[in-house]
Amino acid sequence: MYYESALWLSLLIPFVLGFACNILPSARTALGAMCCCVFGTAIAGCIAIVAVFQHGTIFIASNWLFLDGLSAYHYGILLVVFCLSSVYAWAYFGEELRKGHFTRKQARLFAGLWCEACAAMTLVLFSNNLGIMWVGIEATTLITAFLICIHVSRQSMEAMWKYIVICSVGMAFAFMGTLLIAVSAKALELGPHDSLLWTVLYDNAGRLDPKLIKAAFIFLLVGYGTKAGLAPMHNWLPDAHMQAPSPVSAIFSGFLLSTAMYCIMRYMPVIEGATGSIGWCQRLMTGFGLFSIAVAAVFIVSQKNLKRFLAYSSIEHIGIISLGLGLGGLGVFAALFHTLNHSLCKTLSFFAAGRMGQILGTYDIRDMKGALRRSPVWGTGLFLSILALIGAAPFSLFMSEFLILKAAIDKQAFVIAFVFLLGLGIVFICALGYILPLSWGGPPLKKAAPAHLFQYESFLVYIPLTALLILGLWMPAPLQAVLQKAAEIIGGAAAYAPAIGLMP
Amino acid sequence: MGSVLETTMMLLILSDMALLGLSRLRTCIAVASFQGMLLGVFTLLAHEQALTPRIFLIAAVSFILKGFVFPQLLRRSIREASAQNEMDPYVGYSMSVMAGMAMFGAALWLGEQLPLTLAAGMHLVIPAALTTVLTGLFLIIARKNALSQCLGFIILENGIYAIGIVSVVEISVLVEIGILLDAAVAVVVMGVAIFHINRQFDHLDTDQLDSLKG
Repeated sequence: MYYESALWLSLLIPFVLGFACNILPSARTALGAMCCCVFGTAIAGCIAIVAVFQHGTIFIASNWLFLDGLSAYHYGILLVVFCLSSVYAWAYFGEELRKGHFTRKQARLFAGLWCEACAAMTLVLFSNNLGIMWVGIEATTLITAFLICIHVSRQSMEAMWKYIVICSVGMAFAFMGTLLIAVSAKALELGPHDSLLWTVLYDNAGRLDPKLIKAAFIFLLVGYGTKAGLAPMHNWLPDAHMQAPSPVSAIFSGFLLSTAMYCIMRYMPVIEGATGSIGWCQRLMTGFGLFSIAVAAVFIVSQKNLKRFLAYSSIEHIGIISLGLGLGGLGVFAALFHTLNHSLCKTLSFFAAGRMGQILGTYDIRDMKGALRRSPVWGTGLFLSILALIGAAPFSLFMSEFLILKAAIDKQAFVIAFVFLLGLGIVFICALGYILPLSWGGPPLKKAAPAHLFQYESFLVYIPLTALLILGLWMPAPLQAVLQKAAEIIGGAAAYAPAIGLMP
Repeated sequence: MGSVLETTMMLLILSDMALLGLSRLRTCIAVASFQGMLLGVFTLLAHEQALTPRIFLIAAVSFILKGFVFPQLLRRSIREASAQNEMDPYVGYSMSVMAGMAMFGAALWLGEQLPLTLAAGMHLVIPAALTTVLTGLFLIIARKNALSQCLGFIILENGIYAIGIVSVVEISVLVEIGILLDAAVAVVVMGVAIFHINRQFDHLDTDQLDSLKG
């Protein structure tokens, strides 16, 4: 079938071309090849995604890899984030090449690792075999570690070491969880071929050993939660985001964290089914979510570095997604919607932060003044994206956060709603305190050299912003259907229709 | 045959205690290498009733990787970084061994809690493996030297491997080999990172990696 080959292609193109990037003659050709590779993948990927929503789940590699509603939705987000980030990387490193801060060797390494990172995340999303899923996540850790320290310095080495050690231990925990899942399925008497297949476990969730599966989920939640940046396992995240070059920070926040959340989402219905749908794992998710929001709110108060501030904001948003999943029903729908919104918005924020950092020569919030005057395009991008991030209407993040709040109030979980709002409120006030002087403050600039911008850079700002604005005001029926299909897989099969009716 | 298995497990626990109490990195690596070979043999012992080519393959791969490849990579890092000893760990060596005893106790209790059904003569396996997991974690947390932390990660993987070998026979060989290779790559990546850190800082003390805070 043509869509099976599309699925194979979207996995193999970045994997194969990633190696090819290492032998190209110049920095520009390497970066160019990387962009072509990502866009080529996107074409194949789009065919596969459309096929999933028209014909249903696609299975390949004798059921070890598949694409269903949930993974197709996430894969769509991955493609958007990677396409935007690749174009941005071209501009960002183009500027560094112009200044002579980026060598051919670094460019080749970057381009190669970038494509391989794309392939590894794709593998995670495609895997039906939970062992392969783990291998994919571990591969993303090892590949992206070197992306953090493309520019070798003391700080970037420190960030990379923390990232490798903390995430490797996390991955070891996740592996332990995966093992326990396999053990809990002993009653099913599966053969070696399908003992870890998600589809099999999902269909037979009721026959798994509940005690073992609870132990397994705790290991999995701690393990994948480390990678997702859920507090209190988040320590690597601010350092890595701060030290990585901005295109890398953008894929970290924009999709790497969501990849790990996706793994947790996959396990949720299996665990719920095995424990008799008493909301055991939902309570855990809610707890971790609220704690992450609280930790982010506390740490965001005293940030001095713009990228570090954005990193803590990512912890907050991952917390919000986790909270939504924990609330169930409408919350799951909202959490999935929030994943898309956050990926789009955070990608844009890191783009803007990176370019403003290059233009102003610093990431220190206290020294970054008058961004809008220095670069109207990126200044607007930075200001509006942070405004959207903190949940200002009418951007779509407001809508998804509102739906999560509604889910909490519908469940009469007023304490949860209160903590959620309090966290959001603190972040809102602090972020405004940072962003207003950053955009307008400072003395009128003396004639500074105008920032060198590529023509297409304004598209990088306005495409995501327009999308966020449109999604905030109106949800297209196809997207709603996709979200609903994905939410049903995680077990949020409640009726959303009245809630969606509330959307303006 | 159960007694051979028990001896293997006792050796595993003893090697954990040795790792906690030794200060010379080279000796620690030798112990880790011994532990790796032990696990390779253990793979065969645990499945001696049903030895298949698959079991042989897994045993051979883990014997070679854990017993020779990982230790060799670590030794190379030592040479490059000319690091000999863990200078002053957060937790002293005798205290570490005491902690090891406590971890063994905790592992015995945890082993009781997990409802794993094992063949006869294997009752020591889960506590021993859990002790190894905890020892690995302890080394990562309580040692300052980047090499010791890398060693801790290998020990942690060893423990999980032991649990996997006795509790799951059904996982397909492809996944198992993939996982072993992933561990190998992790060690290589850590080795390269150690090399970079050493070149940037002239030492491997991770407690001096402290410029990123807040």
